[in-house]
Amino acid sequence: MLAAVARPTTFRDVADALTLLVLLTEFAMLRSSLPRSQVRLYAFQSLAVTALAALVAARHGLGDLYVIAALTLVLKVVLVPWIILRVLRDAGTEVAGSHRLGVATMVLIALAVSIFGFFTIGSMPFHSSSLPTPALGLSVAEILVAFMIVVLRADVVSQAAGFFSLENGVSVVSLVVASGLPLVVETAFLFDLVVAVVVFGILMRVHHRRTDTLSTGVLDRLRG
Amino acid sequence: MAVELAPAESQALQVLTIVALAPLVSGFTAHVEARLQGRRGPRVLQVYYDLAKLFSKETLVPEDAGWVFVAGPIVAFACYLLVPLLIPVLTDFPLPLGYMGDIMGGGFILGLAGFSVALAAAETNAPYAQLGGSRAMTFGALIEPSILFVTFTVAIITGTDLPYFQAAASRASVAAALRPAHLLAVLAFFLVVLNDTARIPVESPASTTEFGMIDEGRTLEHSGPLFAVLRWGSSMKQLILYVILINVFTAPWGLAGSERIGSVLLAIPIFIGKAMAVGVIFAVIDNSFSKLRLFKITEFMAAAFLIAMLAVLVSILGGG
Amino acid sequence: MSWVLVVLLAAPLVSVVVCAVLPNRAAQGATLVAGLLCFSLSIVLVGHPSSTALSGWLMVDPLSTVFVVPTAFLYFTTAIFSVGYVHPAGDEVARARYLRRFWVGFNVFAWAMLMAPIVNGLPLLWVAVEITTVVSALLVALEHTPGATEAAWKYVLIASMGLGIALVATVVMYYAGSAVLGSGLELFYSRMLPAAGRFPPQITELAFVLAVLGFGTKMGLVPVHTWLPDAHSEAPTPVSALLSGALLAICFYAILRYYEITERAVGAAFPREVLLAFGLASLVLAALVVAVQRDVKRLLAYSSVEHMGVLCIGMSFAAPLAVVGVLLHVLAHAAAKGTAFFGSGSVVRKFGSKDVASLRAGIVFLPWSGPMLVLAVLALSAMPPFGIFRSEFLIVAGGLRSPADAAAAVLVALVTLAAFGLTWYVGRTMMSPASLGTTSSEADGSPEPPPWPWGGLPAAESEAVLATAVVTVPRAQGEQERPSPTRGEPSPWIVAAMILGLAALVVLGIHPPAALGTLLHRAAAQLEVGR
Repeated sequence: MLAAVARPTTFRDVADALTLLVLLTEFAMLRSSLPRSQVRLYAFQSLAVTALAALVAARHGLGDLYVIAALTLVLKVVLVPWIILRVLRDAGTEVAGSHRLGVATMVLIALAVSIFGFFTIGSMPFHSSSLPTPALGLSVAEILVAFMIVVLRADVVSQAAGFFSLENGVSVVSLVVASGLPLVVETAFLFDLVVAVVVFGILMRVHHRRTDTLSTGVLDRLRG
Repeated sequence: MAVELAPAESQALQVLTIVALAPLVSGFTAHVEARLQGRRGPRVLQVYYDLAKLFSKETLVPEDAGWVFVAGPIVAFACYLLVPLLIPVLTDFPLPLGYMGDIMGGGFILGLAGFSVALAAAETNAPYAQLGGSRAMTFGALIEPSILFVTFTVAIITGTDLPYFQAAASRASVAAALRPAHLLAVLAFFLVVLNDTARIPVESPASTTEFGMIDEGRTLEHSGPLFAVLRWGSSMKQLILYVILINVFTAPWGLAGSERIGSVLLAIPIFIGKAMAVGVIFAVIDNSFSKLRLFKITEFMAAAFLIAMLAVLVSILGGG
Repeated sequence: MSWVLVVLLAAPLVSVVVCAVLPNRAAQGATLVAGLLCFSLSIVLVGHPSSTALSGWLMVDPLSTVFVVPTAFLYFTTAIFSVGYVHPAGDEVARARYLRRFWVGFNVFAWAMLMAPIVNGLPLLWVAVEITTVVSALLVALEHTPGATEAAWKYVLIASMGLGIALVATVVMYYAGSAVLGSGLELFYSRMLPAAGRFPPQITELAFVLAVLGFGTKMGLVPVHTWLPDAHSEAPTPVSALLSGALLAICFYAILRYYEITERAVGAAFPREVLLAFGLASLVLAALVVAVQRDVKRLLAYSSVEHMGVLCIGMSFAAPLAVVGVLLHVLAHAAAKGTAFFGSGSVVRKFGSKDVASLRAGIVFLPWSGPMLVLAVLALSAMPPFGIFRSEFLIVAGGLRSPADAAAAVLVALVTLAAFGLTWYVGRTMMSPASLGTTSSEADGSPEPPPWPWGGLPAAESEAVLATAVVTVPRAQGEQERPSPTRGEPSPWIVAAMILGLAALVVLGIHPPAALGTLLHRAAAQLEVGR
């Protein structure tokens, strides 16, 4: 259609491929049954986001973005997965397959939701100066799939990982439409994420101490 | 001055290549697979010997089976003969009959083949054959959306759904072939081929447990020449799918650029070499993964569909 | 005046340090001093509501001052209340740990809430709100009960997801802004607002909807309110008071910031419609649920949802009067909800149960906080002479003048319904002495329908029954027989906090100070550009 006119370039292809990788990892997180592998997938996804940030920085000569990429690498690829894996190791229990629905059903639902997001954003008059504009639709789709993870998985680790990967999606969105955000603001976002991760970690521990499980199946007391 | 082949002759040569060399590729794949598992394995030409042996035997037809039992394998074989007319097996320029059908048309013909085999299986009244037939049709229906979307993707990128032109578009630039949408489509089609050629993780090709069988189960009641036709047909089907995977999507190089007899004949070993390389990849996959439980196969289908769908999305809005 | 802003943010931080290193006494003292200081400074700001500090990163204008005042007020009063309320059980070490965690968390929470209206620009606003989320989630989990664990997890997860959306809203608004102002934008309000008229309309609308959805999750707007009753009822009562009274308002402030930009970019009609939809949904659901709620803190939580709905609907009326009412409502709701939670905390301390039934005879055993809780609930039901009556009156009066009459009528009806439910339940349980049968059955949580409100004993007789009521005080299920409570207050600090809250409500209801009136009008004018 309209974009078929645009000449694809190498930069564009690499950027598209990385964004797609972020989305595909999200789907993999949705279906992977072990929380541990989910966290590893998250680390991998963060790596893709880092690469994307570095790519944009190199392409447009944005020094700030190199800093962001480095911070992302340290925080999201190393620190955050480390924190969660430690919680998991200390908990000593494994929740295998906390899917609320069958995997195929979940994937299809998430697919429908992400397509919805993709086309909704596609109909908006966005134009990105830093990345191919469809990356926006893909990252919004990724955010919606992250929502599906939180909704459709029933253990605290998956839900937390879902939230963190949602944040990855937002990072990509901001790379696409707001690559010029001031460094101080971006850094504030990132450190906020780290604080959130620490709190998630504490609450996961609290949850495990009280209920002796990582499943959220026991969280049904409060109603009405 | 080199001898030129008439277009009709080239076309006949394409069909002939598929018919004659499909057992070779199957045998080679089985051989490599056995080697990877540390076995000596069957000889590369074993499939030919098997076919020859089967053709020399008598045909047994179950008591209450009708003419469909006999017609099914033959119709399927005819279908497999037809498809190579439409796809670029040896030449990179469209041959006259190549315009008969687009890639959907080829898909329909393959579908008819599967259908007739399933009908023949249903005709036997034998539980395992019927089970195989119905499973094959069910999973075939489930994988169908992925095939459709792969076709759409490639059609969107190249602006046509004639296999020859798609191959030409893939060949036009390496960059174009490496575009994310194209890569996703290839990946999705790869999964489709895994399913349609009855490989792991969908079905274990060397399996002898009838409960896990899908495609293999259909042929349990056939014997003698009819069984030979079925086996031959299934190895042809495999090679046809390899052709589409290689010569349309991934590596449409080494095809004959003209009708000179030398270049057309040279294209045959090149093509078989590529097909064998793909066979090796499939053999490696067979050895690296385990077969999915029957009820988990839908997850495999969902994954294929997901990737195909993403390919369409990216190609529609991204142009790339 | 820029030093005021710096001190406002520094005081709670100093208090955090004190709480972290010094023993409980010092922590209480430091928090009280910091609370008083912040509240006084916020009063100063009322008179001079425009200044910036730290090279523009801190800023107040009339709109943000309207939100600084209730936050600082609740910081102060809740500190007073907490001194009387927080007496954890357990051995010496556990107590000290609990107290330290509580006071540190309390001060950080207050600091983050004060920061939200003071920082300049949408991204930092988001950062501040996110800090409030994580800190308050830890505070909710502080109570060692399964309910608190569950509530904290739901809260942090749902609120964080909501804030994820709000972050997208921030980014999208940046995109809209950079389309006009170029990149490298800090999103300072002072730069955004004058240029907002040229923002791409469709994208600004998208940002606004995302912001309402995102911050609305934390504000408790239906249908993204599901965590709110849990967190507000399971948290320690001082935290509940801050969550309900201040934090919801802060999130409303965030929405108003987006409203401000959006109405300049696309006109006020669109943001009004969005707010009307969310507001009506919140009001309808809350009004229905309030009528059947049994847990007194959940009751108050749903009442918060209701009042947030009122705020949104008030903003949707195209009337300056209604906007003034909305802003006054923020102040009055903070005071009323704070006081009501203090009262319910007093009841919880006294009877060890949160069931509405345990409020029965509360008026007998709590000579001060009992009646004041009733008054606070009456105030929440928009009874005169309290502040919420005035603010809702302004909103409805504004609404009746605007074209959106139908919505106003619905609003009036629903508020009346909710008020009736709230007053009926709390009033009935507090005023009418308990009879043995109903008390025990309701304490068991059996679904027996409550008696008709006027089915209780006549007032004259009730005095006589008071004596017998002593033996029928309900107990939490499975709890040991505890000695019958005697008449008296758990702590004078609680009473002091409630008196302050009620005093503020009366002042707001009868005669708001002139400076405050000016402030509200200026803030309303800030929101009234895009007509």
